[in-house]
Amino acid sequence: MERVRNLTQAYSQAPWRKQLKLIVLFLLCVVFAALIAGIYLDVTARAATMGREILIMRAEIEAQELENADLSSQLAVLTSATEMRPRALEMGFMPVERDEIIYVVVPGYVPPQKPDLAPPPAPTKVIAAALPADYKQSLIDWFREQIIPTLSRAVEVSP
Amino acid sequence: MNTESTWRYTFVTTLYTLLAIFIVGQLVRIQANPEQVEHFLVQAKLHEGDLRLIQPARGLLYDRWGRLLAGNITVYEVGAELAQVRNPHSIALTLNVVLGLDYAEVLEAVSQEVSPEAVYVVLDDYVTQEKIELLERYETELENTTSRNKGEEPPSLQGLVFKPHLQRSYPEKRLASNVLGFVNREGRGYYGVEAKFNDLIAGKTMEVLVPRDPNLALELPEIPDGASIILTIDRAIQAEVENILDQAVEENGADSGTIVVADPQTGEILAMTTTPRLDLNEYWQYAEVFKGSTPFNRAISQAYEPGSVYKVLTMAAALDAGAVTPETVFLDVGVIEVGGIYIYNWNSAAWGPQDMQGCLQHSLNVCLAWVATQLGTKNFYDYMRAFGIGRLTGVDLAGEVIGRLKIPGDTDWYEADLGTNSFGQGVAVTPLQMVMAVSAIANEGKLVAPRIVRSFIDKGNQYDTEIRIVGMPIKPETARTLSELLARSLEEEASSALVEGYRVVGKTGTAEIPTPYGYSLSATNASFVGWGPMDDPRFLVYIWLEKPTSSPWGSVVAAPIFHDIVERLVVLMDIPPDDVRRDILASQ
Repeated sequence: MERVRNLTQAYSQAPWRKQLKLIVLFLLCVVFAALIAGIYLDVTARAATMGREILIMRAEIEAQELENADLSSQLAVLTSATEMRPRALEMGFMPVERDEIIYVVVPGYVPPQKPDLAPPPAPTKVIAAALPADYKQSLIDWFREQIIPTLSRAVEVSP
Repeated sequence: MNTESTWRYTFVTTLYTLLAIFIVGQLVRIQANPEQVEHFLVQAKLHEGDLRLIQPARGLLYDRWGRLLAGNITVYEVGAELAQVRNPHSIALTLNVVLGLDYAEVLEAVSQEVSPEAVYVVLDDYVTQEKIELLERYETELENTTSRNKGEEPPSLQGLVFKPHLQRSYPEKRLASNVLGFVNREGRGYYGVEAKFNDLIAGKTMEVLVPRDPNLALELPEIPDGASIILTIDRAIQAEVENILDQAVEENGADSGTIVVADPQTGEILAMTTTPRLDLNEYWQYAEVFKGSTPFNRAISQAYEPGSVYKVLTMAAALDAGAVTPETVFLDVGVIEVGGIYIYNWNSAAWGPQDMQGCLQHSLNVCLAWVATQLGTKNFYDYMRAFGIGRLTGVDLAGEVIGRLKIPGDTDWYEADLGTNSFGQGVAVTPLQMVMAVSAIANEGKLVAPRIVRSFIDKGNQYDTEIRIVGMPIKPETARTLSELLARSLEEEASSALVEGYRVVGKTGTAEIPTPYGYSLSATNASFVGWGPMDDPRFLVYIWLEKPTSSPWGSVVAAPIFHDIVERLVVLMDIPPDDVRRDILASQ
């Protein structure tokens, strides 16, 4: 028993043990800080990459919108009345005359309706957010949210 | 630890401490100095992002079936980033050859020293895609070129920048130009729909800061495009009507022509054309096309004395008020005195006893002046106001004029005006006002406001416009009775307006033209108003030829135009002949 006590005392009094404890503690802090920094860097880098991609995609959308507008106008020129008439005549078509038409009753025939180029306005509906805020906030946002209410509560309760 | 190590540690510690003190000191100095704070805030703002003027795409204009009448095409601004320019001579020479720009001006512009005020210069704008492709090809070719002389800068277009943006484009060129109007390079609409709805179509231009911080990408505002509009115009009908009008103006040697085709039951304008017309893609030729005070769209912007087509309104009022009936007989002695002036018939002849159909059929001024006196002054002008004469129709087009209807109480109204107004003299109306007024007779007495917009498309939704009934100047029975009288008049006259298989209603008009010295005897305004099919009116056509030289009479020059238009309308609108239509209805 005495021997065990001596050994324990010797161990606890060993100078390198205290240093080791400090080093381990320090390393733990460093690892923790590195971990946090790593996570933060990863999240920030990913957010920045996404932001960059969004900017690039917006530029692409703008370019495609310009191209769409161009193509629509080109198509309209090709199918315009002034272009179509001579082309149709060249192909042997003739404008139909009133007395050349035979009218036939076609059951179920629906005459051309007014164009629907967009849907009619719908009644306003409140749509719940698809993702909770927790899934969209950054680490800093989360910390801020956790700390600031605590601080504000502290301010409120203090006399 | 030896002395050398201690010295080293002390030195490094001191160095780092001094560095830390210096940094903290600088922080304190900047934070404590308002000027420095201001300076750095401005610097930060400058590098935060780029300020960009975002002009939303101008809304599109479609015909009633969704065919594009006004769209947008991509054009380019050509500029130079001064810091990137390597060879100003190459740029000046290339732009001189490809774009026709002045060599010296371009050279001076791109040779500027870069400064905070001069970073980028605009050299040209609204350059077409083809020319940009040509410039890009030259740029690529010059990249591989080396200088002939040692020390000389090799030819290069480096520094040239092409920024795309949209420009208005009209694929149908002149078609419906009087209705559409045009947009100048500053994006402002002139005339027609482009001017009337400029704010709506153009959207809201915004200056936004495009952040360099990618984390702020989502903070960029979404700027919606301008609203698009579906018009009531039918492109096919418009094209046919324009062809017929151009031919008629040429054949009859008229100064100008105007035709409006509308659906009397809904007020929708199916076609509206006038001469001259402008290729909207070359709007800068406006002054050459519209010389002097020539209106852009006579159908709404030029009031004129319509002549005998106006008799339809006088007769409608008299029948509705019970002042006359179709069987009322008037003894025409060839002249009548109203308010101290003598009114004669168009041929100065006496037509003897005439019922109301005869009065309309032979277009007797004397008879209609008598009818107006039977109706009474107050009643006559009340009816004319109810028909919308002397008021704006409220059509969605810029530049509508009100015309002129003098009424009792006006300083320039005389009792004689009742007599002359009854047959369309001394009253100024636009063709569209006449269309609106007469449509009440075709539409069972209901006065429908004319409209040119069928739907708006804004922020992804389509909003349809509604029929707007603005009054009921006459009873349905009156409308039916008058339609019958007019239809029989045309049939008994064997008018050139008639169309085989379809019962149509109409009235011709020939008006002398007022001048500062009285009415001109050598020039007339020839008009025709008609609609059909009589039992279910689907179209109403108004025709006006100004100063035709082939013949002064509306019955000779305007009535055949109505015939030609209706021949095409029944095909384009799928309107079967009356007997076929009745058979189809009976079988259902």
